[in-house]
Amino acid sequence: MKLKISELRDTLGYQIALLGVVALLASLLLTQASILTRADIAAAEARDLQVSLAQVLPEGSFDNALAEDTLLLDSPQGQVKVFRARLKGKVTAVVMKLSPIGYAGPIDLVVGMDADGKVLGVRVLKHKETPGLADQIETSKGRWIFSFDGKSLNDPSPKDWAVKKDGGVFDQFTGATITPRAIVGALKRGLELFTKEHERLFDSAATQRAEGDTK
Amino acid sequence: MNYLQITRDGLWDKNVVFTQMLALCPALAVTSTATNGLGMGLATTAVLLGANVLIAALRHLISPDVRIPVFIVLIATLVTLVDMALNAWLHELYKVLGLFIALIVVNCAILGRAESFASKNPVAASALDGLMMGLGFTLALIAIGGTREILGSGTLFKDAHLLLGEAFSFLELTLIPGYKGFLLMILPPGGFLAVGFLLAVKRIIDQRSARRAQEAASVAAPVTA
Amino acid sequence: MIHASHAPHAHAPTSISRVMWLVIAALVPATLFSIWLNGWPALLLWAVTVGSAVFAEFFCLRLAQRPAAPVLSDGSAVLTGWLLALSLPAWAPWWIGALGAFFAIVVVKQVFGGLGQNLFNPAMAARVMLLIAFPVELTTWVQPAPLFSADALSLSQSFALTFLGQMPSSFDALSGATTLGHIKTELTRDISVVQALAGHGQSMSASLFGLHGGSLGETAAMLLAAGGLALIALRVISWHIPLAVLAGVALPALLLHAHDPARYLDATTHLLSGGLILGAFFIATDPVTSPGTPRGQLIFGFGIGLLTWLIRTYGGYPEAVAFAVILMNALTPVIDRYVRPRIYGHASKAASKKGAAS
Repeated sequence: MKLKISELRDTLGYQIALLGVVALLASLLLTQASILTRADIAAAEARDLQVSLAQVLPEGSFDNALAEDTLLLDSPQGQVKVFRARLKGKVTAVVMKLSPIGYAGPIDLVVGMDADGKVLGVRVLKHKETPGLADQIETSKGRWIFSFDGKSLNDPSPKDWAVKKDGGVFDQFTGATITPRAIVGALKRGLELFTKEHERLFDSAATQRAEGDTK
Repeated sequence: MNYLQITRDGLWDKNVVFTQMLALCPALAVTSTATNGLGMGLATTAVLLGANVLIAALRHLISPDVRIPVFIVLIATLVTLVDMALNAWLHELYKVLGLFIALIVVNCAILGRAESFASKNPVAASALDGLMMGLGFTLALIAIGGTREILGSGTLFKDAHLLLGEAFSFLELTLIPGYKGFLLMILPPGGFLAVGFLLAVKRIIDQRSARRAQEAASVAAPVTA
Repeated sequence: MIHASHAPHAHAPTSISRVMWLVIAALVPATLFSIWLNGWPALLLWAVTVGSAVFAEFFCLRLAQRPAAPVLSDGSAVLTGWLLALSLPAWAPWWIGALGAFFAIVVVKQVFGGLGQNLFNPAMAARVMLLIAFPVELTTWVQPAPLFSADALSLSQSFALTFLGQMPSSFDALSGATTLGHIKTELTRDISVVQALAGHGQSMSASLFGLHGGSLGETAAMLLAAGGLALIALRVISWHIPLAVLAGVALPALLLHAHDPARYLDATTHLLSGGLILGAFFIATDPVTSPGTPRGQLIFGFGIGLLTWLIRTYGGYPEAVAFAVILMNALTPVIDRYVRPRIYGHASKAASKKGAAS
């Protein structure tokens, strides 16, 4: 038997068949695994998004799936994605996703704002700023990002929405001005956009995307 | 087959990282903490074990001429399975290691074991070889990650509960409270430095034990000439 | 033992020590000036750094059970510590200097086999390590307060600053950015180079005489250049590398500044800023880590200059000499391999024949 296989496996036909069978079995196995894990992976990714958005909203202030209730706003910097937080169907707050350009590429951040335009919280989701110098924007490295909590476009006044180096009220870091400057600037623009689009953002009757599909 | 020798080879004598100097890309890239090293090591061990068993079982069926493509398809399949499993069920760890899991496919240690061991040896020996090579790799990654983590941020096994579950959160130590951190060790150059110095330590240990073995031999058999 | 296989200047050991001490002597005027300019903390940092380098060398030699005295007296550890000290911000805490010196001597020099075997310039490799690991400490510059001037720190205040990290309360004008750092920051908010330079209030003569913030020895361009020229005149170093480095920075700067003055700095500011003069004359010319042939040295130097300009203009860090030097150090063996000396006429003829045939 063994001898026969060792003769057979030198033939071209056997080799082609072997490769074919191996590839077929591998694909079947992967398809099966994909079916098995797809739901869990999608759930995990949705949870990721929900968790990162919920960071900038007070606990218990909403009961909807944020990721499924979105609006796209037009701004001079391009389209801005907004997630709406609802409690019993009424829009109570919004989360805006901003990506200002920092020292080393875009800084992805989310900012939560309540109906009065007050900042509920800001978190940086992803950035490539210089480690050790500008990564204090992460909550694990510093408390700077909390300095925006409770602020709004008129508190401090619009001209004070800048880092101290530019005559504003927000701290910069030792050795890094560009990163905080980018974030403060983006937040100011975000708040201005919020004021301009306030009506649309808090129009609770506006169809949620998920509902809109079913109705 | 000498199972003791296979174990010794995998864990120490032919350690993937420190002796064969293979798989240095994952060894350098993910080891900013001991936990990451452990996670990457275990994922690689799973693939290595699976690949060795599969290939040893099929070794008589695989034509030598097309063995490399067959090995690669098998390894890639296993890696994709591990990738999907981690993404679905150990999502937090996946977020840390995700990028590097796919790279296990090109981890030359796995193809190396398939080619040099599993394709010539029976299933049981190959399984042990895969397991021990994998564990040796895991230990090396923990050593590199641990060194970098202690020097870089003063902790050890940070976030281990994400990998092993809450039961293992006792592993998480803060060795140097209030440590400002030596950023260099966390960044890529720190990986090179840690590998270099650990390699030097292993060489010293090997030289010492070789010398001791020699001395013991010369005592046992006194020179007659 | 200098490793440069075909270097025309492969001296006997006594001559190495002569070269080292001459280079150190050429650094003295600029060092004295910058200590005067930056006050007592500069002196303390310099002493700690040089002392740590010597101690690290001693420690390694002890570990290897080699006699320390002959190696220590060759001056190479002193020079490494000295160059490192000159590339640090004057008010950096003591452990920056000590850690950098240990890294330079132990990791970059002795681990590779000691003087003559090291692949990278120890002082610059240490500076890069410090910059990556401690970006805050390495980019905190102060406006200079010369010794004996009204703003200067007293000796006891200086001890508190360097060793205990206590910033005197009267001193709040902390981050006095260097010219290069300032321009880099301003460019990101669409302020042109011209405006940024004007806003920085830095005159050309101030740069020439080094009256501005910067690392210990990066600033006194004139004195450093004078020391370098003296070394060339004494034939301690050849002119190839310094000239090529300066040309490598000046040429692209001239071209692009002429093309768009609002975006690109002019050549003169480039030449006088940062560690360029120090790097060109004292660091790139290190015989161990630079090519042995004049042609190779020209390539090596121009590479350093060009990389410096590229990193300064497009890179993430404002200052680039240290990065450029160690990148080109890594290429030195390749340059030596392909740029053979023309001592043996046959070799080059054979090579050209081969080239013609293929």
